[in-house]
Amino acid sequence: MEKKNLKHDDCRNFAAVDAAKGICRKSNTMIFTDTETCEQLVSIPKCKNCSHFIDENKDRIGTCAGLEKNSWTYGELLAVTCEGYHSNK
Amino acid sequence: MRNGEKIMEILSQKGLPGKNHKEGGMTQREVKKEPKERTKYLRDIYYDTLSTSNVEFPYWYTRKWNELDGEISVIRRAEALKCAFSHLTPTIYPKEKLVMQKTNYYRGSFPMPWLSEGFFVAKEDELYQEALNRGSASADELSKFGTGGGNVTQSFGKVVSIAGKFGMRQEEIPVLTKLSREWVGKSVEDLGHKYEQMVPNYQIKENIMKTLICMFDSGYTLPQGREVINYYYPLQYGFDQIIEMAEECKQAVAGNAGGDGITGMDRLYFYEAVKLVVEGMQNWILNYAKEAERLSKETEEDKQKKEYEEIADCLKWIAHHQPRTFREALQMIYTLHIAVLNEDAISGLSPGRVGQVLYPWFEQDMEAGKITEEEVLELLELYRVKMTCIDCFASTGVVGGVLSGNTFNNLSLGGLTKEGNSAANRLEMLILEAGMTCESTQPTLSILYDEKLPEEFLLKGIECNKTGVGYPAWMNNQIGVQFLMGQYGEEGMDLKEARSIAIGGCLETSPCCWKELTLNGKTYSIPGGAGQPTSVGVHFIANPKILELVLTNGYDHRTNIQVYPPHNKALKSYEELWETFQDYYRITCDCLAKTNNIQHDVWRKNNMSVINSFMKPDCLDKGLHIGNMGYRYNATYNIESCGTANMVNSLAAIKKLVYEEKKYTLEALKEAMLNNFGFQNAEETGSYSMKDQVKLEGTTAFDDIYNDCVKAPKYGNDDPYADSILKAYEDWFCEMTHDFESLFGKKMYPCQISVSTHGAQGRATLASPDGRLSGTTYADGSVSAYPGTDKYGPYALFNSATVWDHAKSQNSQMNMKIHPSAVAGFEGSRKLLDLTRAYLRKGGFHIQYNIVDSKVLKDAQQKPENYRDLMVRVAGFTQYWCEIGRPIQDEVIARTEYEGV
Repeated sequence: MEKKNLKHDDCRNFAAVDAAKGICRKSNTMIFTDTETCEQLVSIPKCKNCSHFIDENKDRIGTCAGLEKNSWTYGELLAVTCEGYHSNK
Repeated sequence: MRNGEKIMEILSQKGLPGKNHKEGGMTQREVKKEPKERTKYLRDIYYDTLSTSNVEFPYWYTRKWNELDGEISVIRRAEALKCAFSHLTPTIYPKEKLVMQKTNYYRGSFPMPWLSEGFFVAKEDELYQEALNRGSASADELSKFGTGGGNVTQSFGKVVSIAGKFGMRQEEIPVLTKLSREWVGKSVEDLGHKYEQMVPNYQIKENIMKTLICMFDSGYTLPQGREVINYYYPLQYGFDQIIEMAEECKQAVAGNAGGDGITGMDRLYFYEAVKLVVEGMQNWILNYAKEAERLSKETEEDKQKKEYEEIADCLKWIAHHQPRTFREALQMIYTLHIAVLNEDAISGLSPGRVGQVLYPWFEQDMEAGKITEEEVLELLELYRVKMTCIDCFASTGVVGGVLSGNTFNNLSLGGLTKEGNSAANRLEMLILEAGMTCESTQPTLSILYDEKLPEEFLLKGIECNKTGVGYPAWMNNQIGVQFLMGQYGEEGMDLKEARSIAIGGCLETSPCCWKELTLNGKTYSIPGGAGQPTSVGVHFIANPKILELVLTNGYDHRTNIQVYPPHNKALKSYEELWETFQDYYRITCDCLAKTNNIQHDVWRKNNMSVINSFMKPDCLDKGLHIGNMGYRYNATYNIESCGTANMVNSLAAIKKLVYEEKKYTLEALKEAMLNNFGFQNAEETGSYSMKDQVKLEGTTAFDDIYNDCVKAPKYGNDDPYADSILKAYEDWFCEMTHDFESLFGKKMYPCQISVSTHGAQGRATLASPDGRLSGTTYADGSVSAYPGTDKYGPYALFNSATVWDHAKSQNSQMNMKIHPSAVAGFEGSRKLLDLTRAYLRKGGFHIQYNIVDSKVLKDAQQKPENYRDLMVRVAGFTQYWCEIGRPIQDEVIARTEYEGV
């Protein structure tokens, strides 16, 4: 995935505080979510990064085929706790 | 009367209370303390945090729910909850000791479309248009949020404002819409709407909601709340033992009705549901433990690394066992608290008498030298920050119009032990201290005042009041106990049990019980909640609005709706007017009680509580959840009123001017009210306070009648003329509520608080015969005087307020604003305590103080950016000034400011 499409909340080192900002654990500073990310970005599990996420539509909604029963899901859903997550990298 | 003048100037010229605030510079608060460095860091983050919602929890809940179509409802719900809890993303912030929160955001919340899905879909969506046609939409229109603090009142960047308060990431909006569509026709709101239409006179209910005579439906907005949680079972047994007990109980009841042909067989499913939700909570806690371990590995700084390890150890232990230390016990009760808040939309989930619940761990840790009071104080401060971060997602009308964004987690202090001795302890002194060092809105504090409480403890409460934070509120323990025995005696409440009393929500007397807790071989009796929510029933009825419709033959001139059937009476006597008022009131209660019963019935069938249920006695013993009356006390549904002082003053004016002096006809009075006595509407002036209302140019026709209405007798002056009307109303209202029955077959009872509804309901009300102008805010509380009308000091007000028996009602509400100079120094503290005692000894149930200079509030209204941390007491709760809507801000400023006590 190109860096230009990433936000800080795509990074494992970002502790989201609210819908607009969060704490960068590397710099220990408050940063805005939608500003440019840095080279230290570590990809956080999200459905969009999972190999079981298929058929994504214009609203970034697709299908999860990684759990017992298939269901719709959305690319931005955090998958840190998902037992079926499998990185597509 | 000259035109174009503001009303306060007009009143002052006529020798009536006008400018009632001291001139000169601003007086700052006498008591000001600072939190620990760690607390300050985390509280500062809060100050800069936006209220944020996301759809992670509802996504996983809905996915599992959909998978289990056809399953037994309570199992389906428990599985959905387990799935959602198990998938919540953990976030732990630097410097935290107490961890976990509702979502992965600092101040997070989420919609629950299984309760209500209509209001948060896009405005152009047909669902939204359909929702607008429902009566409940009126509360949204007339409710205002504060524009500061964490409220996201407008969309910006990639953040979308929802319900005027919550920010949501733009990319989640299509998901929210998709989720909401999946619940159309299935939510409590939709199913309730379907069946409540079968109630005779349903159209009257719709009219009542559209005209804001009633503020909201409780069944699908806030189905639980204003109750006291009970942490006992996890604190006593730990989660692993609860699962073991559930398994044993399942074996005992499987296929066995136990003599109960209706709910006996349900016990099996309930115990299975308990096991499922506990497993979900364990997964949730352990996911945080894993995150703490991950962060520990990633962190290079030694101190922070060690703290993450301590967090992981704490969480891994409490996920399975009884807490060993004070810190673990505090973490556990906080975790349980937000677990219940994630289970359902709840406001007013009160933690109860936390200082007594946690005392066993405090006592033993202190004796063993495991912790110091300074360390306890820091933990209590951190607890305040975490509790303040709690938000409740609901519609604008509910979160803004009723709650002012508050969540009412009321912590009770003092009261008596089971044996009748003072229950105040050293830990409660530290809780009060933390309330001063870490000023924050949650948990708000209430002292259960009893003559047996030690002076040192009471003065500590007064010292806290003098910080200006608006807490603790003072509740009359003996009056509360009397109310509990009267309302719950039929369900077995006795005096010893009643002494376990705590306040749920703002100031709702709630039924509790004692349980025996054993820690390291020592046994303690600890109090905790044992009753259904008291946020349920008929909420809130606008008393002045009903009186207005009596005068207009049931027709609402603001919306042009014939609300009630025309009474077509000439109203030739005061008695006939009063009887007609009672008739309309009964019609209101009847249709609202029935329709809300249906909503709650749908709720208990499809959306019942499992987590809150298993924690409260006696669900685990009976094998029954809340919907099957598993709780020990179930007669909690009530009828809430608002605007009592304005109604009383209006009746006094009508009685005197129309019926006794015959100076004006009722028709002339009605005409004056419809013309707002010749003033601009509050919407036009942009202020909801009387002090800012402006006379219309060229209009003098109503000057005389207005002068007489303003001068008519007013409640709050120890004047029997007005006070006897209050007494007659209370004697009638308190009994009348018993005529209505909850879905549990129990008699209802009166609840008399305003929360923030006096703002929105005031906006929906024409000018009233007491001289209050159209659209302006009502008097707050239920026995507070209307601002500026109490002219003879607090003791005269106390005499007026206590002409009726407060033990007949769940509560009464007295808010008082005092200038800081009036209670300065130790002598001032003694005076304030004496004042408090005087009211409570007279039989008042509740009093609370804003000890603040009104000039500070005015300055804060002009320059909110300078007052992010300013808090005020509204009506049963403390809230950040900048997060309160303008109608309520205006009302707090206008309250009579006592300069001497």
